[in-house]
Amino acid sequence: MQITLIQGLLIALVVFICAADKHMETFMWFRPLVVAFFTGIILGDISLGLKAGAIAELSYLGLLTVGGTVPPDPLFAGLMTTVLAYTTGCDVNTALGLAVPFALIGQWIGTGTNTFYAGFLPSIDRDVAEGNEKGLEKKMYIGWFLYSFLFAVAAFLSVYAFQSGISAFVNAFPEWLVHGFEVAGGLMPAVGLALLLVVMLKKENVAFLLAGFVIMVIANCANILPVAIIAGCIAFVGFNRDIQIAKLQESATASGEGEFEDGI
Amino acid sequence: MESKITKKDLHNMAIRSMAEQCCFSFERMQAVGFCYGMTKCFRKIHGDNNKEMAEAMANNMDFINTEPHMAAILQGLIVSMEERGQERSLIHGLKTGLFGPLAGLGDAIWWYTAMPIIASICCSLASQNSVLGPILYILFWAVTAVVSRIWFVNLGYKAGVSSIKFIGDNAGALTKAAGILGVMVVGGLIPSYVSFAFPETLVVAGSVSIQGIFDSIMPNILPLGFVFLLYWLFKKKNVNTIKLILLVIAISILLSFLGIM
Repeated sequence: MQITLIQGLLIALVVFICAADKHMETFMWFRPLVVAFFTGIILGDISLGLKAGAIAELSYLGLLTVGGTVPPDPLFAGLMTTVLAYTTGCDVNTALGLAVPFALIGQWIGTGTNTFYAGFLPSIDRDVAEGNEKGLEKKMYIGWFLYSFLFAVAAFLSVYAFQSGISAFVNAFPEWLVHGFEVAGGLMPAVGLALLLVVMLKKENVAFLLAGFVIMVIANCANILPVAIIAGCIAFVGFNRDIQIAKLQESATASGEGEFEDGI
Repeated sequence: MESKITKKDLHNMAIRSMAEQCCFSFERMQAVGFCYGMTKCFRKIHGDNNKEMAEAMANNMDFINTEPHMAAILQGLIVSMEERGQERSLIHGLKTGLFGPLAGLGDAIWWYTAMPIIASICCSLASQNSVLGPILYILFWAVTAVVSRIWFVNLGYKAGVSSIKFIGDNAGALTKAAGILGVMVVGGLIPSYVSFAFPETLVVAGSVSIQGIFDSIMPNILPLGFVFLLYWLFKKKNVNTIKLILLVIAISILLSFLGIM
């Protein structure tokens, strides 16, 4: 289906707002679940937005901005998964795979601005030296606006301006290629989860990973809450034990020092 | 001594603290946004004394990279120390010493534990075609964004150096507990969200379905194995994120082309 000019502009506006939040990472409006939901409302197909958001959210779960690295962009992933499923009529799993190049565009904007803002610093330092907080604030707002504006422009071009070219390109794909992207959509959450594990998994934790996996397989329930509650209980017990051990060690070293002094 | 910083100023700082990550640059990371959060309080403390104002701001303009929620604790602490006229080098030393442990703790709590749990609950609602999914997600993060920052700013401002040091010292145990919670949840997410299964029509030795063999060993063993394959590639073979995603797409297309998936 076609995206109208009005829809394109509304999407650009939503992306502007979500990108402003992405810059702060405060309200999580840049997460695929939220972006896709808003996009679905604009396109008049909320159910599509929900489905696309759910799958994109999980695939980009582990792709977090940690330690200043910029991962493939979740905002564009949520947006384009919905939009591509809408314009080309393909399955959301397929659209998720097709949205990857757009997620890279978002990533480049982020890397570009992170580099560019270093150029703001000398003039901000001058304001700081004068005790002029208004100067710092103004430059921060400019940077913030610029970031959101770049995202909005990129979104408008991808969603509206180039839509016919993109959908003609996708429609020329043979059946096996489209199905391949669908398979990729089902596998993509594994990337996010694997990346989470790269940061979280330690030798002492592996047992809990397997336990969580097995509980979920046998319980077969709709969401993760039961596993999360069991995990919370275990974590609580572990935390208390660690605090106790730390206290014992403290008192042990304290009394050890005492004995030593007595010895002298 | 009467306090110049009122409750209202602290609330205002909590709101400004939301912009902590703005103007993030590779050179000094969150310096600009971090300093921005405190400028109003600094101005209130130092009045028209631009020299003091400049020194207070400059003290917070070098490299800092912490977790955005947790930054509010540091900002509260720095403002309280600044108000009591403590040595800037002491303030600076504390800031530099604490932002790392706080970042580790904050990442473990917000990004690796709260995010997977709330995302998976909301995604399962959304995939059942309920608008409650995204709405609950928005509400959860909006409430925690505001409440946690007001709490953290007050904690930093009132608790004083010793209590913040206590948090810093116990960050290890807390991070470990959050790690257990997070890892177990990720374990639970693997069977629910990674779909990797061969079609029933794919058989060997006449009539034995390949997927049936895997299922009889352990249901969902293929998704688990696939996650560990990617983990291994990333961790041991240093394959980066983009290559990993492209690899997954390439494998899928190949499997589809060969007709075995």
